[in-house]
Amino acid sequence: MVNLTIDNQTIQVPDGTTVLEAARRIGIQIPTLCANLEIHHTPGACRVCVVEMERSRNLVASCVYPVAEGMKVRTNTERVRRARQTVIEFILSDHPQDCTLCQKNGHCELQSVAEQVGVREIRVPRTDFTDRRIDESSPSLMRDASYCINCLRCVTVCAEVQGVHCLTPEARGFHCKVVPAMGADLMDAVCVMCGQCAVVCPTGAIVERDEVDKVWAALEDPNKHVIVQEAPAIRAMLGEEFDLPPGTLVTGKMIAALRRLGFAKVFDTNFTADLTIIEEGNELLNRVKNGGKLPMMTSCSPGWIKFIEHFYPSLLPNLSTCKSPQQMFGALAKTYYAEFAGIDPKDIFVVSIMPCTAKKFEASRPEMNSSGYRDVDVVLTSRELGRMIRQTGIDFVNLPDEPFDAPMGQYTGAGTIFGATGGVMEAALRTVYAVVTGKNLPGLDIMPVRGLEGVKEASIEVGKLGEVRIAVAHGLANARKLMDKIIEGSAHYHFIEIMACPGGCVGGGGQSLPASNEKRMLRAQALYRDDQHVQKFRQSHENPAVKQLYETFLYEPLGERSHKLLHTHYLKRGV
Amino acid sequence: MKVMTKKMMNIDDLKTIQGNVNKEKQLKQRGNKVRITIHMGTCGIASGAQKVMDAVLDEMSKCGRSDILIVSSGCIGLCSQEPLVTLEVLGEEPVIYHQVDEQKIRQIFKGHILQGEIQYDVALARGKAVNEEPMSNGSDTIPHVSQLPFFGLQKSWVLRNKGLIDPEKIDDYIWRNGYQAAAKALLEMTPLEIITEVKTSGLRGRGGGGFPTGIKWEFCATSKGDIKYVLCNADEGDPGAFMDRSVMEADPHAVLEGMTIAAKAINSHQGYIYCRAEYPLAVKRINLAIQQAREYGLLGKDILNSGFDFDVEVYQGAGAFVCGEETALMGSIEGRRGMPRPRPPFPAISGLWKKPTVLNNVETYANIPQIIIKGGESYAKIGTESSKGTKVFALTGKVNRIGLVEVPMGTTLGEIIFDIGGGTPSGKRFKAAQLGGPSGGCIPAEHLNTPTDYEAIAKAGAIMGSGGLIVMDDDTCMVDMARYFMDFCQDESCGKCTPCRVGTKRMLEILQRICKGEGRQGDIELLEDLAQQIKDTALCGLGQTAPNPILSTIRYFRHEYEAHILEKHCPAAVCSELFKSPCQHTCPVGMDIPAYIALVRAGRIDDAYKVLKRTNAFPSVCGRVCGHTCQMKCRRGQLDEPVAIMHLKRFITDHAERPNIEPLPVTRKERVAIIGAGPSGLTAALELRKRGYEVTVFEQMPGAGGMLRWGIPAYRLPREELDREIQEILDTGVKLRTNVRIGKDITFETLNKDFDMIYLAIGAQKSAPLNIPGEEAEGVLGAVEFLRDYNLGKEVQVGKHVAVIGGGNSAIDSARTAIRLGAKKVTIYYRRERKDMPAQEWEIRAAEEEGVQIKYLAAPVRIITQYGKVTKLELTQMRLDKFDRSGRKQPKPILGSEFAEKVETVISAISQNADLGFLPKGSGIEINQATVKVDKDLRTTNDKVWAGGDVVTGPAMVIDAIQAGQRAAREMDETIRSANGERPWVPPAEEMIAIPFEVDAETKEQPQAPIPEVSPELRRKDFREVELGYTLEMAMAEARRCMRCDAKVE
Repeated sequence: MVNLTIDNQTIQVPDGTTVLEAARRIGIQIPTLCANLEIHHTPGACRVCVVEMERSRNLVASCVYPVAEGMKVRTNTERVRRARQTVIEFILSDHPQDCTLCQKNGHCELQSVAEQVGVREIRVPRTDFTDRRIDESSPSLMRDASYCINCLRCVTVCAEVQGVHCLTPEARGFHCKVVPAMGADLMDAVCVMCGQCAVVCPTGAIVERDEVDKVWAALEDPNKHVIVQEAPAIRAMLGEEFDLPPGTLVTGKMIAALRRLGFAKVFDTNFTADLTIIEEGNELLNRVKNGGKLPMMTSCSPGWIKFIEHFYPSLLPNLSTCKSPQQMFGALAKTYYAEFAGIDPKDIFVVSIMPCTAKKFEASRPEMNSSGYRDVDVVLTSRELGRMIRQTGIDFVNLPDEPFDAPMGQYTGAGTIFGATGGVMEAALRTVYAVVTGKNLPGLDIMPVRGLEGVKEASIEVGKLGEVRIAVAHGLANARKLMDKIIEGSAHYHFIEIMACPGGCVGGGGQSLPASNEKRMLRAQALYRDDQHVQKFRQSHENPAVKQLYETFLYEPLGERSHKLLHTHYLKRGV
Repeated sequence: MKVMTKKMMNIDDLKTIQGNVNKEKQLKQRGNKVRITIHMGTCGIASGAQKVMDAVLDEMSKCGRSDILIVSSGCIGLCSQEPLVTLEVLGEEPVIYHQVDEQKIRQIFKGHILQGEIQYDVALARGKAVNEEPMSNGSDTIPHVSQLPFFGLQKSWVLRNKGLIDPEKIDDYIWRNGYQAAAKALLEMTPLEIITEVKTSGLRGRGGGGFPTGIKWEFCATSKGDIKYVLCNADEGDPGAFMDRSVMEADPHAVLEGMTIAAKAINSHQGYIYCRAEYPLAVKRINLAIQQAREYGLLGKDILNSGFDFDVEVYQGAGAFVCGEETALMGSIEGRRGMPRPRPPFPAISGLWKKPTVLNNVETYANIPQIIIKGGESYAKIGTESSKGTKVFALTGKVNRIGLVEVPMGTTLGEIIFDIGGGTPSGKRFKAAQLGGPSGGCIPAEHLNTPTDYEAIAKAGAIMGSGGLIVMDDDTCMVDMARYFMDFCQDESCGKCTPCRVGTKRMLEILQRICKGEGRQGDIELLEDLAQQIKDTALCGLGQTAPNPILSTIRYFRHEYEAHILEKHCPAAVCSELFKSPCQHTCPVGMDIPAYIALVRAGRIDDAYKVLKRTNAFPSVCGRVCGHTCQMKCRRGQLDEPVAIMHLKRFITDHAERPNIEPLPVTRKERVAIIGAGPSGLTAALELRKRGYEVTVFEQMPGAGGMLRWGIPAYRLPREELDREIQEILDTGVKLRTNVRIGKDITFETLNKDFDMIYLAIGAQKSAPLNIPGEEAEGVLGAVEFLRDYNLGKEVQVGKHVAVIGGGNSAIDSARTAIRLGAKKVTIYYRRERKDMPAQEWEIRAAEEEGVQIKYLAAPVRIITQYGKVTKLELTQMRLDKFDRSGRKQPKPILGSEFAEKVETVISAISQNADLGFLPKGSGIEINQATVKVDKDLRTTNDKVWAGGDVVTGPAMVIDAIQAGQRAAREMDETIRSANGERPWVPPAEEMIAIPFEVDAETKEQPQAPIPEVSPELRRKDFREVELGYTLEMAMAEARRCMRCDAKVE
């Protein structure tokens, strides 16, 4: 432990703590724009967090400065205040002054830090932004470098958390900006579209592609039958857009809001999550029994899919051929539902609400048209849905709870927990166990796959199948570790679940901002609550609507229709 | 001779090689009689050393001799004289030849080598370029190296092998005691002993930071870790710095040896040299050295049987300046983008690949072997209290002897620049030296006595830096200089931290707008504030020091910033967006020089005269006696010589038709009194007259003209020329009342009552006293009084020997007048040296031609009299001591050197003061010593009274007085009009004069056309004009030399 004095308060903190963390412990929030402790990003770049350090000639960046015994720090002096103001003044002088037009308006860290340090004047010349170029190449993300403040968080999250290394600072001096490697557009770069860069971006430099207007246009179109599905994580996240505490389960209000927005039917991705379990569980059993490629890997996370296509194309045969629940939903909406409701599929317009930016890319993949039409027409992130609801002035918090529509709105707890890391694995094992043993998994909970540990491993005795070895990873850098082991031959699993984003979908690139691990945990807990306490059924094969689907439309898992509508193939993209 | 090719095993082998390579022996044993060394550093090669080498080889093959040894060696430091060649004939002292080319080397080859005759016309010096005593007194025809200030004042420690060894031969290095230090360190010393020795030496990091090297090594040695690294920073990137490059090119093994010793001290087994790829020769030689050292077992496993392993690799940087920053450098070696990371942790704890690392620069390591051999104590004897040893400087810029100099720490900047470097070329004044590159600051003339000591330099606002020393003269604009360095820094910023990435850009933009004339009130203060904030908040040294050039230029040259911002004026005539041409911009009254020169070229002399008169009522006077600072800025001067603007101006006034002058109407009720009918007063009178005022000029002398009439002798300014220009002013209706002394003939109070405004332009009419005993004697005269009395027609007698004290134009005028008055002998005694004389060079020369003698470094002590008359003048010899605020060395008397000269007349021409006795107590006009205090608009502390010319500035040029008159008139008029709520005066439309644009397709070098003069024998007898003026042909030819800087490409 180290003793130090911050603003005349003596404090004891563990060795290795930074001055910024130490200050937080005594309630001093030092402003910063670059540091992000959750991704271990403290480049000392923005220089907003400077403090006065006894015996130091210059101010020091508190976010990286380690505490030392007897250190004396002052965080609130004229010198410090002036320095912070000047730094923010510099940043603002190189930042478009069009906050009200920016997608991040109101959620921008630069706005709040500027407010905190109190800049009232820009005395220096400003950058001319008349010729700004926005990279709109990607279906998922948009990049406007003029908003970039070089905090380098996106570089770190992309390289260290996601192991993708797509983003890098380019050029020197004033022209130094973060760009996709070799200055390519995002679509041409090795980008997995996971959107974690957008999650950590303090400004509007990288944001999700906003497609709200497309949805409004469809809703206004009298010839379109617009239906909507929501990913499991949305119900645990959407409340945050309306200042409800993280982890508030708002399923009923979400349905009510969507209905008020004008969607003809409010269905649920959880329905196809259950369906995925049936298909994928059977695929696993099939592979185990018939000597198929193992370990089998889940395929629900589109960021993960693009990642493996780029970096581990040799492992593509290990991927489950199941489409993600979103795409299964789309394919069924324009076949099964069209038949059910007697609507020409060309008039059906499918909207997804996802915690994910890569889902936009996934929906745009050319092969996702097995219904004969685009399976999914528009994907909105939770943030976009939040904006859409705010546009209408709907009082979300006070909405009544409403139920889903039939036939694609019914789901089980197994479907819900898809939204958290380990959830797919847990759901799959519940069903596999039941199918193989004819009994329910005792207690139904598989605790070792839950939680925010980067790589989780477990093995379960599944009747005559014997020991089933599983692994779960979230965050693609963790996925990399597993993949490398598999290629090395040092990992022997049957089944692996990978989610591209930290925490799984509750930590997706489209989640409500600002993000934090604590929020991810609370959201996951809400999903487990839904599974345990709200849902009548907790195993996918128990879902009556899914059963009905098989009885009336698909007939059997892995059958011909399933094969056509619910399964897909992958590309070797390479780097 | 035993040839060592196998891996060397022990220290005896080292000694064997050393013996074998002994050059003297080698010469004899091989039967060689001659060694010719071509100094082939990058600098030498750039000057043509390769061609010289080729010519030598060619001559060799032709002459068929086999006893000539050809050696390629490194730079010896005197870059401005390259290519340099050292020729050594067995048994004789070597001779250094300079500025050698193919033709000269053939001459040297044939003359010196084949015929044994030293080629004196090409020879620079004899001896070796490192401090060694002369072998013999030798020939007096060429000086010994140690007698040349450039070499004699240096002390070679780091550069001890410069020019002596072939850097590509390890044996040569071993011959010079190479690797003895490594052997000692590895075989006989413990790490602690090495560190102690380095600590004792007091060596501080030569990369710029100046951190004590021994302490740095100690930190790293005590730091925990099995793997440690020794890094050498060879990423020298400061503009104007080439110390490390030269060391690596001339003596690469010294760096490797230093690193090996460091490795032993911290127990490291791997070193890296991070060298910029832009130094291909250095990289090549270092790599070669590494390879040779490995072959000899001086790098690698079990060096010299010591059991110690150490190896070195070169890592080439891609030229990012920031990679000279230690954490960025390490990042770059690790394969990452070269971006600094915050410290702590410091490299000694967590450096390259997070291992404890020592990082020093090339020069630091090159110091180490000698410290180990000679001991830290002997190193610590050199230098100052806090800065020990020697420092290598790259001396460059506006200095005569550009090169690499190594001096003991504590040598003053003035000594380096003036004594070693030979001062500034072409008579331009030294302005400042930039020390420490873009991270450093400038040190102005007033701080030339600053010793090269880390602390003293920091106190003066610069940093020692790695040793780049850029000399700047009057032609450097300090704002532009700051802009240049800021541009460099913002360009080289890694872009990581906000203050450096954005802040430096913003400062650059502010500087750019100041240089463009778009500076704003408050910009200086804004720059100061931003600089402070950036220094305080930037992540690494680059950003923290980037504002230094701005801060130091503002500190010392704030007035230049103000001139740019407030007056849109660039005093150095550099910021070209502020002006049409440098000459016009430099002229205090902005005469349209390119226009009248173009008109001369076109033969339109009358039009040219009209152009002259637009801005100056005294063109004929100025064509003769103006100081013509415009010519100093003439861009033609960068090619050969400046255009003779003065002579062309005079030519126009000599030959143009003078238009008739019509009286100007009085249109205003206000009346203005002008006291003093000198150039300033008369100009103000004319300008006020043009604006419709009734103007009366009061003059205490019997005629108008002031100093032009009473001070300047007629042989420089014929009176009819002066009269004519004064009359043209009076013809406009200016009233002149001569023989009226204010305070005697008319009271100041009356003037104050009768006139609305008063302009005080009385000049500086009183010679300053010498303040020595005997001054009151008969025969002691003030220069002003002496010249005035003569010009008044009074009988002025001078003795046989006239002593004139002083070095300005009045001293010259007095001396030349005394000659004309029949003095047998006239001597000017000046306390400094000729180059320090304020008088114009051509005036000094003219005086000498007429027989005036000038004694330098002599100052009067007392005047010896007999019967109240001067009989002798006692003087003392002076020596030049430290530099004074003007950047010249201060003369100090040499005790006991007094001497007496028999003289009858002593003329004091040391300075002039204004005679302000006429001002009554209640005038309200404040006086500063002997000058009148005015605000920036020339207004005195009395609201009604304005003042200008010498009475405000002290003795200055006539054009300055004219400018003050114009300005005072403008300000007075504006004050009156704005008080009345009137609109500003609009001058009447000028006649359109089309200025032709004609330039030669090709500019050929051709010096200024000299002005014809009366021969000295004839002219010293009377007061006829000495200069005769150009003929039309000469004038037109001279006008063709103008390069028309005013022309803009549309």
